[in-house]
Amino acid sequence: MLFRRIYQFMIVYAVFLAILLVVKKGLSLSDYVIPGLSLILETAVQMSAGFFTDVMDTLSVAILGQGISIFLAFFVGILGRKSSWAGSMIRVTAYNIQAYPIVALAPIIFILLGDGFLSRLLIAAMICYFPLLLSVLGVMAAPVEDIEHFYIATGRMRWQLEVKIRAFENLSKLTTVIAGSATLAMAGTIVAEFIAANAGIGYSIRIALYQSDLAAILTALFMIGIVISVYQGILETLGEMVKAKWGSENKGVLL
Amino acid sequence: MRLECSGLNFAYPESETMVIQDLWFAMDGPGFHAVFGPSGVGKTSFAKLLANYRDRPELPIQTSGIGTILYSYNLERLPGWSSTGRHLDRICPADRQDLKKELIDIFQLGPVLGARFSQLSMGQQNRMNLIRYLLQDFDLLILDESLANVDEKLRQAILLAVKELFSHKMFLYISHNLMEVARFCKDILVLTEPSREKPSKIVSGQDDTRISVLEKPSLDRIMLEVMSAF
Repeated sequence: MLFRRIYQFMIVYAVFLAILLVVKKGLSLSDYVIPGLSLILETAVQMSAGFFTDVMDTLSVAILGQGISIFLAFFVGILGRKSSWAGSMIRVTAYNIQAYPIVALAPIIFILLGDGFLSRLLIAAMICYFPLLLSVLGVMAAPVEDIEHFYIATGRMRWQLEVKIRAFENLSKLTTVIAGSATLAMAGTIVAEFIAANAGIGYSIRIALYQSDLAAILTALFMIGIVISVYQGILETLGEMVKAKWGSENKGVLL
Repeated sequence: MRLECSGLNFAYPESETMVIQDLWFAMDGPGFHAVFGPSGVGKTSFAKLLANYRDRPELPIQTSGIGTILYSYNLERLPGWSSTGRHLDRICPADRQDLKKELIDIFQLGPVLGARFSQLSMGQQNRMNLIRYLLQDFDLLILDESLANVDEKLRQAILLAVKELFSHKMFLYISHNLMEVARFCKDILVLTEPSREKPSKIVSGQDDTRISVLEKPSLDRIMLEVMSAF
């Protein structure tokens, strides 16, 4: 799964690069607009190490932001699973807030918190929090009657057991959403770095943009793609391992 | 022990079609009683109403000598995060360990205790589910197709063993197997479709307590009586 993600990205990146070069050739564009392959490779050799460090910096913020979002999404999702008025209010509020483009709030965060680590972290967490929350709320608010009936009928049902049953019955959905939210967290961090941060790959791309250095931007995109593919691949592999060990869908021949 | 129903009517919310109409019957004493009828006649709806009738005081259902009512059905599942044996250990009261072992032997589930629920066949799943209900405190246990997908020989053995081990409890057995119901049950409540305006009725079953030579004429008479009731 990990290698599949990497080579899939490589294929997409190569196609994208080929299209750029065809456009360059077809329209006879100068190296200033679209650099040639040799210039791209030369820039890549020069800047890869620095960009890799920047991507890792961005990724570390994204991972932390994603971790915070996952924790918050489960916390609020568990609170909001009940059909009580409080649960309904949490669900309605979450649905309404997620409809608002959170990234538009980024300038306010930078004004209040400055352009350091905390702003990047908060924006990354906010961007991947709401899709996660909606999925967790959906899972936690849907009873698994075929399993829960026994525990309710015999008076054994506790909130911890209810959450455990619903989470395990939806392991596939939850692991997919968590793996998918990695991209959102990374996008959130990069957007934050574009706007006002002073570190990370988004910040480096902003500098390259001001210098109209497409070769540097292409190198940065390659680095982002490789690192996010590896990170998502690891998350998916972990998800598969969890599903294989705990999931209710792992049927097999017993005897 | 007495279970009585005096003029029960039921329709699902926002539906004008009656599922149960003017149902009157009484069942007395412990043992195996049955609810029988064609598909869609309201057997499961009735069973669910009965299981929760104390939450709905407007329902004309009365019981005496019946405290806890449990309802089990054939689509229930055990959680998949550990083996079925571990689940049984967790839900079995400390003073019923011997009963648990005995039931596992009777239900022939010993070899699959280490397996997860999803790895069992449908018949094994239903047997496993039934065992955990039998280990609980109950006075009336409703078995809604709880032995579906179990082969006939084993099903008969299980029914007879449960009748013997839980002779002081009341069971309401819902099944589509007419011969089984006629042979092993005491009172058979035959439900009819409300649209046919034919009242539901109680037919006395053979209530066998051991596997013996079939009394065919008697069984035929009961089955005929049941069939002509709907």
